Amino acid sequence: MTTSGDITVAGPATPEREGRTGNRRGRINTIVWFVVLGALTLLVLYPLIWLIFSTFKPSSEFGSNSGLLPESPTLQNYVKVAEGIGGTPLWRFFANSLLIATLAVVGTLISSAMAAYAFGRIRFRGVSLYFAAMIGTLLLPFHVLIIPQYILFQKLDLVDTYVPLVIGKFLAIEAFFVFLMVQFIRNLPREMDEAARIDGAGHIRIFVSIILPLIRPALVTSAIFSFIWTWNDFLGPLLYVTSPEKYPLPIALRLYNDATSTSDYGATVAVSMLALVPILLFFIVFQRFLVAGVATQGLKG
Amino acid sequence: MFSARRNRAAATFAAMALTGAVVLTGCSGSGESASGGGGEGGGEPVSLNFAFWGNDVRAAMYDEAIAAFNEEYPDIEVNVSFLGFPEFWEKRQIEATSGGLPDVMQFDYSYMRQYADNGLLLDLEPYLGEQIDTDPLSEQILGIGVVNDTTYGIATSTNAWTMFQNPKLLETVGAEPYEGGGTWEDYTEYVAGVTETAKAAGQEIYGGTDYTGRIQNFEIQLRAEGDALFTEDGEPGFDQERLQEFWEEGEALRNGGALPGQRIEEIYPLSGFDSALTTSELTWDNFGAGYLGNLGEEYTELTLTEPPVTVEGAKDLYVKPSMLHTIAATTEHPEEAATLLNFLVNSPEVGAAFGTNRGLPASETQLEGIELDGLDAQIRDYEESISDRLGDAPPVPIVGFGSIEEKFRQLGSDLGLGVITPEAAAEQFFQELDVILAQ
Repeated sequence: MTTSGDITVAGPATPEREGRTGNRRGRINTIVWFVVLGALTLLVLYPLIWLIFSTFKPSSEFGSNSGLLPESPTLQNYVKVAEGIGGTPLWRFFANSLLIATLAVVGTLISSAMAAYAFGRIRFRGVSLYFAAMIGTLLLPFHVLIIPQYILFQKLDLVDTYVPLVIGKFLAIEAFFVFLMVQFIRNLPREMDEAARIDGAGHIRIFVSIILPLIRPALVTSAIFSFIWTWNDFLGPLLYVTSPEKYPLPIALRLYNDATSTSDYGATVAVSMLALVPILLFFIVFQRFLVAGVATQGLKG
Repeated sequence: MFSARRNRAAATFAAMALTGAVVLTGCSGSGESASGGGGEGGGEPVSLNFAFWGNDVRAAMYDEAIAAFNEEYPDIEVNVSFLGFPEFWEKRQIEATSGGLPDVMQFDYSYMRQYADNGLLLDLEPYLGEQIDTDPLSEQILGIGVVNDTTYGIATSTNAWTMFQNPKLLETVGAEPYEGGGTWEDYTEYVAGVTETAKAAGQEIYGGTDYTGRIQNFEIQLRAEGDALFTEDGEPGFDQERLQEFWEEGEALRNGGALPGQRIEEIYPLSGFDSALTTSELTWDNFGAGYLGNLGEEYTELTLTEPPVTVEGAKDLYVKPSMLHTIAATTEHPEEAATLLNFLVNSPEVGAAFGTNRGLPASETQLEGIELDGLDAQIRDYEESISDRLGDAPPVPIVGFGSIEEKFRQLGSDLGLGVITPEAAAEQFFQELDVILAQ
């Protein structure tokens, strides 16, 4: 994903060069750049390309043929994966992942933006202390929290529901996103709030009508990251979700592998490939928003 | 000024209201999807949680087994949950801290001591002969689940150490199969011979892998000499020199003959035997079905032979449980849980569903439910054929045995890659061992 970003950055960089050093040299430069970047991209993306090709290998070829092209290509892996696991159809895992990720994104955006507004604009007693405490939570490794958190949710009888996975997102627990938005809000000119206040707007009005539209780039960034993180999260669902029909994709992926009996590598790569598609689409769609958002923000600031 | 303060109060209230609303929607949103699971307990029909590790194939087998159970016991609802082996244990370790363990579990031998010592498993003694039928289980099988004189688990099935060979691949090479038994030197020579023959014909096929990479091969050597990997008190039954000697023994195989370490890494997590690169492999006898699956349709047959023997006439091999079933100490329905455990261990229906997927069934009644053919029959015949070499099972593995086994495997792979000497490897192993044993 980083590499596809590199290419879009390299694109606009070349015309500039053309203007400076004349047309022919510029063109050669462009070609060289594209060849070099193309080769680098290919190198970095090779595992992904290998994955795509491997989905067409029959399971028995995984040990004997580690090359790129399948010797006897087959669609069997996809057929098998579509059937699902242990009576749960594949779409169910996608739906579960989508539900969790959507709730997480919505929760993160609402709660983090509100928390960020409070930290960035309202002066209340202990604001800097709370802010420091929030940043402090970033330093707390997740592994320290696992057991106490699990005990808490277990006693609340919330294990095997999605509540433990999303409730934190609705309570602005992701300090990283809050911090991102606070920084964004601090850079917005206060005059706009003041103008709104003179017109009679309260905090809610200022937050909804002034701040929210202006921090859109930060919201988009947070949405993308929070979606990807939640979509890929393995440990959380592993601990809190027990019933196979509630598993999200990352857990379901592993079910095709069993070190103690047989592992269906064909099915594993096929389902990995399918799991990658939504996240790739999400990124491609929202990347445009991200760029657009940064551009408008630059003009206003 | 004062309007600002009023605003603040209003905003605080609004924020609280909003957060509350959001939390509520958050709950109800996920609550919807949460219905249907979870053990409610109480009332007449009882609900039990049951967890196992395995893949989609085993999940389908358990589905069949649980369906058969529910036909007989419609009042006991079983919520099944399954994961891969490492994830399964990660989850159990966390659950163990809060009393959230599933009522009935598929269990691994290497975790028995740890969970039993911490009082996490239910003492099965009161249920033996009641809910749990002990008649079809031999004394030896019942003894497997005993830790500190208390029965905590019942073995479902057994495995023994064996040598698999691939007859079709041997035919391709034009080599004879290893006849079984013999000394380790015989085997080393044999492996080199097969590799040589294949090389002469221009084929990339090897006679075997470096056997010193597996701790079990070391164990049967020690057992033949009257020692053990670990004593009853959990002390190592060998010293650094003995281990170094063992790894030096593999030098001949690593220098040619065996599948090179680099190739092993390339095809990992598959083994050379899975990939039709080697004609023989020393491993547990329940791995056969997995090998056939990974080898693909071209290969339909494998043979099982005796591993080499260190001292002629030694009782170096043993039967170990491939897995056990246990009940959590925190279960609210111990009697129903014991009923389920009994069904999973003893019923012929479960036997019919699983075949030898979990190993050769330990229970006679369950074994009757299986029509053994092909590989399944070979495994049974093999376990019968080695009865002269079968000794007592070693004591329940010490806490941390899993890490020790993994360290041994890693050092074996380092040796194969030639980045460490047997001497340094043995030293490193003992350092690691000290850390694990000190815990």
